Amino acid sequence: MNTNHLSSETFRENAKAALADAQLRGALKNATSLFGERRKQAAASLPNWEQLRSQARAMKDEVLLHLDRYLEEFVRNAERRGAKIHWARDAAEANSIISGLATERRARIIVKSKSMTTEETHLNTALEDAGMQVVETDLGEYIIQLAEETPSHIIAPAIHKTRGQVAELFTAELGMPPTDDVAQLTRTARVTLRDRFAAADVGISGVNFGIAETGTIVIVENEGNIRLTTSLPRTHIAVMGIEKVVPRFADLDVFLKLLPRSGTGQRLTTYQSFITGIKRVATDEGPEELHIVLLDNGRSRMLAHPVTRQSLACIRCGACLNACPVYQQIGGHAYGAVYQGPIGAVITPQLMGIEKTSQLPYASSLCGACREVCPVKIDIPQLLLHLRGEIAPSKGSVGERLAFKLWAKVMVSPTLYKLSSIAGRAMQRIVPISKAWTNGRDLRPIESKSFHDLWTNE
Amino acid sequence: MNNSARDAILGSIRSHLATSAPYDNPANFENPVILSNKKLDLSPVELFKRNLESVNGHCILTTDVTDALRQIITDLKGRRIAISDDPNVERWLRLTDLEIEELGIAPNAQDIFRFDIGISTAQAAIAETGTLVLDSAHERHRFVSLVPPVHIAIVDASRIVETLGDALALLRSKNEISPAVTFITGPSRTADIELTLAIGVHGPQELYVIIKEVVGETG
Repeated sequence: MNTNHLSSETFRENAKAALADAQLRGALKNATSLFGERRKQAAASLPNWEQLRSQARAMKDEVLLHLDRYLEEFVRNAERRGAKIHWARDAAEANSIISGLATERRARIIVKSKSMTTEETHLNTALEDAGMQVVETDLGEYIIQLAEETPSHIIAPAIHKTRGQVAELFTAELGMPPTDDVAQLTRTARVTLRDRFAAADVGISGVNFGIAETGTIVIVENEGNIRLTTSLPRTHIAVMGIEKVVPRFADLDVFLKLLPRSGTGQRLTTYQSFITGIKRVATDEGPEELHIVLLDNGRSRMLAHPVTRQSLACIRCGACLNACPVYQQIGGHAYGAVYQGPIGAVITPQLMGIEKTSQLPYASSLCGACREVCPVKIDIPQLLLHLRGEIAPSKGSVGERLAFKLWAKVMVSPTLYKLSSIAGRAMQRIVPISKAWTNGRDLRPIESKSFHDLWTNE
Repeated sequence: MNNSARDAILGSIRSHLATSAPYDNPANFENPVILSNKKLDLSPVELFKRNLESVNGHCILTTDVTDALRQIITDLKGRRIAISDDPNVERWLRLTDLEIEELGIAPNAQDIFRFDIGISTAQAAIAETGTLVLDSAHERHRFVSLVPPVHIAIVDASRIVETLGDALALLRSKNEISPAVTFITGPSRTADIELTLAIGVHGPQELYVIIKEVVGETG
């Protein structure tokens, strides 16, 4: 299945196609259940998981309610330490800032570590259009870049691919002898990418947390490609959503406990890089310049209501994807967007507007599994309902609206209600009930006597 | 600098927050309780070792750093060795009397790629996670701990703190946080292919931590 250009507009068709893809569903079942089990164990290993979740949420709420203040504090401190700050209202502005910086530095090769924010702005295309070679260095991102696909999971971008498919890809693209050995595949990527790291002029990373009181950016990972990206090239550009600020350095104690446990079930990921401005002595190791691009791209709009504002508390752990019975069956590509699963179904319509994404808030049974696992207690079902509420007035057929109007009339009138129940009993024999419902199950016949009749007669 | 984008974003934040205000509950921001975990049943050194080994790191407790270094380098047949600029590291290494084909002291971003082993110290370590804390203000160890396939780190037993929170507080207690602080917990790893663990993707494939204990003291 070519999943490269799926759109949110065709979600239903995408989902149907995904459901028919046995290989995809096997990969998803394996991955989501493994992630889910690991998360559960990791959360249980702490005695105060619930308290941590509440604290994390309270910190995020505090930041979001005073986002202007915390952003200004972050910027002040980062600038004081030598970082250059750039503000980008939207994706186009962010891309033009970054490609401008790269062009000024005559960059030919750019190494990138995984950043959902740059996926959101489609930065790679912009840089390639400017004539630069962009290399994704996270193994999963590298795989999908070679395959010319898009990520299907927030933290495991190539989760939909089997080792066999990766091997075929590496054989075709890198000339590797065919193998099914994951260690061999990983070594091949290491060797190929070393070259690129050594030659890169600019490194581009995302940001997990920006600390207001120190101006520090924190980036977490397992592979070491983020450290390489942010250490070796002369210029480091970090792209940060404006919602990533946390007030104090000590707050990391809470977030660094929640994020890895929720994401991969690890106690801590292998590496955390805490980067505060630029080096003090020219001969020290590390980049000569640090640019931090602060991206809005629709985020500030989400502050306008406490329900939508919750979306900005997300720390991109991916736990809700793994827990979601819809994602578990259809995977990430069907959502046709950078952010998938439950959190994607609420963020995408807010970032891109509801016109083209109006099917996404309905891609949920509202079972609440996402809310249960969210490390920052985002009430995703509430958000989904809120968005459905925005969509509903413009959607729905004339017939549906008439039916509900009639229903409302009947429900407030005892006489009409009694008549309708008699009519219903009679009609059920002659009028076929919606096929969509009875295709997969029987509809129980309505009892011949109503509860009301039984009550008055006994 | 583009001030209009800055003003537009901050303006948008303020106006949308103002729209939201009537629906808002009063904020309930709690100071983070510093979450002390249940009391450790092992000494910090023992706990560090156990946690590091659980993520595929090697841990050696010793009073003789030179001896431990000699052992590791001999076993790995390391020939080209890159060390940080901490003078102790060079002293320990010289004392091993090993024949070293090439010794690099804090090599630059180009040269670092040809070394087999990188050696540094660590400024602190965290027992509850098996984590090393590398602080760039004290030592040039950013590249030697990252690029060669093997990283050997030496840390004083007395520098091991109990919790993540302790390590963060230690970093924050300095006047200024250093430009680059790195936490390292085990060798580089990935599970991006079928969630199958593979060790050593971009960073070191092996991590050895030598915990230097003082003679006459244990744990």
